[in-house]
Amino acid sequence: MDTTQLDMQPFQRGAEADLFLTKIGPWKAVVKRRVRKKYRIPQLDQRIRSGRTIREANALSDAKRAGVRAPSVLSVDIEDFAIAMSFVDGEIARSCLDQLPRREQSRVLYEIGQQIGALHEAGLVHGDMTTSNIIISRNGLPFMLDFGMSSHSSDPEDRGTDLHLLQRSISTSHALDSRRSEKLIREGYRREFGDRQASISFLRQKEISRRGRYFAIR
Amino acid sequence: MGKSARLCLGIESTAHTFGASVVDAKGTILTNVNSTYSPPVGIGIHPRKAAEHHAEVAGQVVQQALSGSGDKKLAPDIVSYSAGPGLGPCLRVGATLARAIATYLSLPLVQVHHGVGHLDLAMASTEARDPLAVLVSGGHTAILVHVGRKWLFYGETQDITLGNLLDMFARETKLPTPGGRSVESEAARSKRLLPLPYTAKGNDVSLSGLLTASIRLVKMGNRVSDVCYSMQEVAFSMLAEVVERSLVQTQKREVLLAGGVAANNRLKVMISEVAKDHGASFHPVPISLSGDCGAQIACSGQLAYSYGGEISISESIVVPRWRLDEVDVPWIPLS
Repeated sequence: MDTTQLDMQPFQRGAEADLFLTKIGPWKAVVKRRVRKKYRIPQLDQRIRSGRTIREANALSDAKRAGVRAPSVLSVDIEDFAIAMSFVDGEIARSCLDQLPRREQSRVLYEIGQQIGALHEAGLVHGDMTTSNIIISRNGLPFMLDFGMSSHSSDPEDRGTDLHLLQRSISTSHALDSRRSEKLIREGYRREFGDRQASISFLRQKEISRRGRYFAIR
Repeated sequence: MGKSARLCLGIESTAHTFGASVVDAKGTILTNVNSTYSPPVGIGIHPRKAAEHHAEVAGQVVQQALSGSGDKKLAPDIVSYSAGPGLGPCLRVGATLARAIATYLSLPLVQVHHGVGHLDLAMASTEARDPLAVLVSGGHTAILVHVGRKWLFYGETQDITLGNLLDMFARETKLPTPGGRSVESEAARSKRLLPLPYTAKGNDVSLSGLLTASIRLVKMGNRVSDVCYSMQEVAFSMLAEVVERSLVQTQKREVLLAGGVAANNRLKVMISEVAKDHGASFHPVPISLSGDCGAQIACSGQLAYSYGGEISISESIVVPRWRLDEVDVPWIPLS
């Protein structure tokens, strides 16, 4: 589908894409268009934008097939680096998680863990798993977004990376007790993915989190 | 003594550079004398040999830093030294000298974290007050924001730094030191993009695979300038991408670029494009102050001293491994 022909309203501007609101048939839809980045040379820019557009479209439908909550792909326009997907009405976790009542917050964190567990169980990893890429829908359900860096992988390294990135986004961008949040996320993850697999992911997560520069050997 | 007349002597000796500098309380650099150990082409920094170089030049460098302009000698009121992170043997040369000077002249002694020094000097020499800080050097490749009393890692390299990437590639392909400059001038002679791995993970990057793949491309017979061009484009694009993502998430209005690799013009252009695109102002450290130098230590030493950073001789250890987010930096944001 040629998304440039749609009647679209500017909606939001992210780091790598512009979002527009539109209607496709009876559905309220979002068109996500990966924009050209002036800092990259055109060759690299094209490769990254088209690669991620295809990747994201595939991963979204794979994730949905695995029972993970994510928008449905309605159409892909590779020429324009755009994906039309169903609109999820809600708020980005990054900006609403802190304000939720404590019980509600615990449930949401647990469910986020479950969603990641289900994704990993299906042999998928997200690749950019932060609270900026999760929407809490109006009825309180977490939806995963932004699968542009996702891949098919059962490597503990990639699974650990998802958990590590999520944990760091919680400790740097939220006022939550990060130990409590991690515990809840892990419970949900373990529940979905099973004890043995979950433990392997957690072990690698811990190792990855200490990979930065100049950690003391203690 | 007026407040701005308070002088701080800073001694840098974390890696290849031994430096000494005197900075006044307003942050004005009065002297900045540096001597860099450069290993033969194809060989990296040997910690002991670098330390020997530092011990050799230390006396002269400090003397020159204290002699100021003309006949007027500069009498320091504070002594600061780079306590880490860095190479143990090198760090000990600077620390020993700093302790000796502080004891002999009965002056307060202050420890400085080398990376914090890079940021403080970059901020003192630009208009940045509360930036998204991008620190790119041989020791760090990190995106930092100031929260509470500390710098917080928002993203960083999961393995080697940008400085490592450029230096190690130059070393393996026998380009002259400093490696960063060699790679940049080689890259300027090419426009041919070869395929290389692009590894951004969330706000982090991983560069070790890129290094291996780049070296392999050279061994396969590709032109060094083509590989330099491709490696720079891919590595800097990865960094620019995670900087952009961090900028959108933190909503900072300023982007600071500090550290030795900030001297690279291509990187500077890329990060400035990112800042401009999101309406943030861009503050690159001046090229003359980007690399390791005494001034970064003297500048940070002044700030730390004002906030009660004085330590006793017995506390004045060196810390080869020292995370930047462990350091108290209550002077940021600058007013």
